[in-house]
Amino acid sequence: MKINPQSFFNFCANHASLLRGLAEREGEISEAEAMRLIRACPGTAEELAETAWRRLRELQILVPTEPGGDMYFMAEPVARLLTYLFNEANPATPEMIGGYVQSLETTGKRLARALDEEDMGQVKLAFEEISLTLRRIYADLNETQQAILTEVARYKTERSRVSVRDKYRRIVHWMERYVEPMIEIVRADGPLRAAFEESERLLQRAREEALFNDYPALARNLRFLRLVGAHALRVFTQCRKEIQPLYESLRRSSFIAEGAARALEKLQAEGAARWGREFLIGVAAWRYQNVPGDAAISLALRRVIEHPPEAPPVLEFGAEMENPRALARLMWLEDLPNAARGELPLEDLIGWLVAKYPERDTSDVLAGFSALVFHGEFKADFTAQPPRAYDVRDGEIKASPLTLAAP
Amino acid sequence: MNDLPHLSNIFDRLKRGCHLGPDDEPELFSALHERYQEYAAYFAALGLTLVRHEREFFYFEPDNPETVADTLPRIAVFSYIMVDHAANQGRPIEEFIFGQNFLLTALPHFTLDRYAALLRQVEMHDMNDVATLLNHMERIGWVRRVGEDEFRFLRPFYRVFSKCLEIAQAAQAAPPPAGSSVET
Repeated sequence: MKINPQSFFNFCANHASLLRGLAEREGEISEAEAMRLIRACPGTAEELAETAWRRLRELQILVPTEPGGDMYFMAEPVARLLTYLFNEANPATPEMIGGYVQSLETTGKRLARALDEEDMGQVKLAFEEISLTLRRIYADLNETQQAILTEVARYKTERSRVSVRDKYRRIVHWMERYVEPMIEIVRADGPLRAAFEESERLLQRAREEALFNDYPALARNLRFLRLVGAHALRVFTQCRKEIQPLYESLRRSSFIAEGAARALEKLQAEGAARWGREFLIGVAAWRYQNVPGDAAISLALRRVIEHPPEAPPVLEFGAEMENPRALARLMWLEDLPNAARGELPLEDLIGWLVAKYPERDTSDVLAGFSALVFHGEFKADFTAQPPRAYDVRDGEIKASPLTLAAP
Repeated sequence: MNDLPHLSNIFDRLKRGCHLGPDDEPELFSALHERYQEYAAYFAALGLTLVRHEREFFYFEPDNPETVADTLPRIAVFSYIMVDHAANQGRPIEEFIFGQNFLLTALPHFTLDRYAALLRQVEMHDMNDVATLLNHMERIGWVRRVGEDEFRFLRPFYRVFSKCLEIAQAAQAAPPPAGSSVET
């Protein structure tokens, strides 16, 4: 369907922001998404969003992805026009430059055949084709350089919260998709330079054999061949120089981020108890063991210096002549089961103790009583007899008799 | 050997885990920087390894004790969260960490439930615990307070980045887990 240019450009003039929005949006767009964009970018003329949507389709700015489909994309000619108008550059892919190289090689073969056959018409056609290809290469190289530099500048200035790893992935894409393969093509011993040299040789031959009379054009093309060859290498070397530091920086940051994320993920998954030492950053902490520090020595010295004078203790050597009372008591208690064992059964344990050890006081009698009652070798039984009073050295014990026997 | 300047002072700092960089203790750092080999040889005789980091700071290589001090996991988790947060800001991580001062109250550590849960695992429950940890990190020369509530990271924090790179490289070198699919 033919489109009225005036209607087309009038609509475009009134909807510049909408067109930019559509151009920036990559891929397919649904009617709902397009309507949202139309409402977000209203035109200068008052119109309904539905009208703008209808006009977008009528003017074939948006075309359906398939006949009758409800998904749309921006028509290729319009996209190219907007790219041109908005001064946006699309990078040439290595395949595109590779295609130009192949085109030059094919044209070169045709030119060689035409020279062999002295076919001036074919020589002229091949010459024009070479010129056109060279101009396309030159334009694409410039556009690629601009696209790469724009991308690099965007990375440097962009403050949006895109993670480092995402940025790294994108820059790696640029490096791997455009810069590195392109350098392979355009380097001094690469296929582009080889195709150029062959084209130059053929053009020189055409001049020498006088099969092409437009010498200024021929000279122009020869100059252009050398210019494009050198320009291509310079463009991508420059691009690599621009992008390389960014690539290195993001690569390092990406790896650092990955390491931290892995460490935290491990902690989250397995808990602190199983979080290995490989995630810790060791710090030296050398400590002396069993060695007093300067502060401790100072304190000890100060205590000695400041201690009030006091007479040394007097040792009473005579006190050691007889056994200590506590020790004697302990030995008596330990020997008591042996003494009791020889006289079993005992009808009245306390009576036996008081009678056998009259020098013992109440405390000793009761201690002996407890030792025998709870001794593992004896069996003690309380009797139902009425309580009795037992006279001990320092008082009286009143208790019912208790028998002690072997178990 | 005995004429090594500041030897006692340097040893005293390093043995307590301190890292000596140009921002902190410039005299000690200069002495180490100029006569690193001599200091390293001196300490080696005592069984201590003096490490010179590629980013120009010095520390004693830690031993491998049976028990790990509580502060080490805390420092690690605090630092990894800092790196994770920096990565999400989209700027090169080192530039983000070293290129600014940080407010204690603006740290990201308790802004996400995920971070808070990770910190709880190492017994850090609130910003007071973070402040205590920062005091420790200041003692070992990793951060410097520039105000009551403000601090900046010092060069020895590069050890965290080195550790992160080590972990990432180890993960890449490790074989994929059994059962994982391989994309072709």
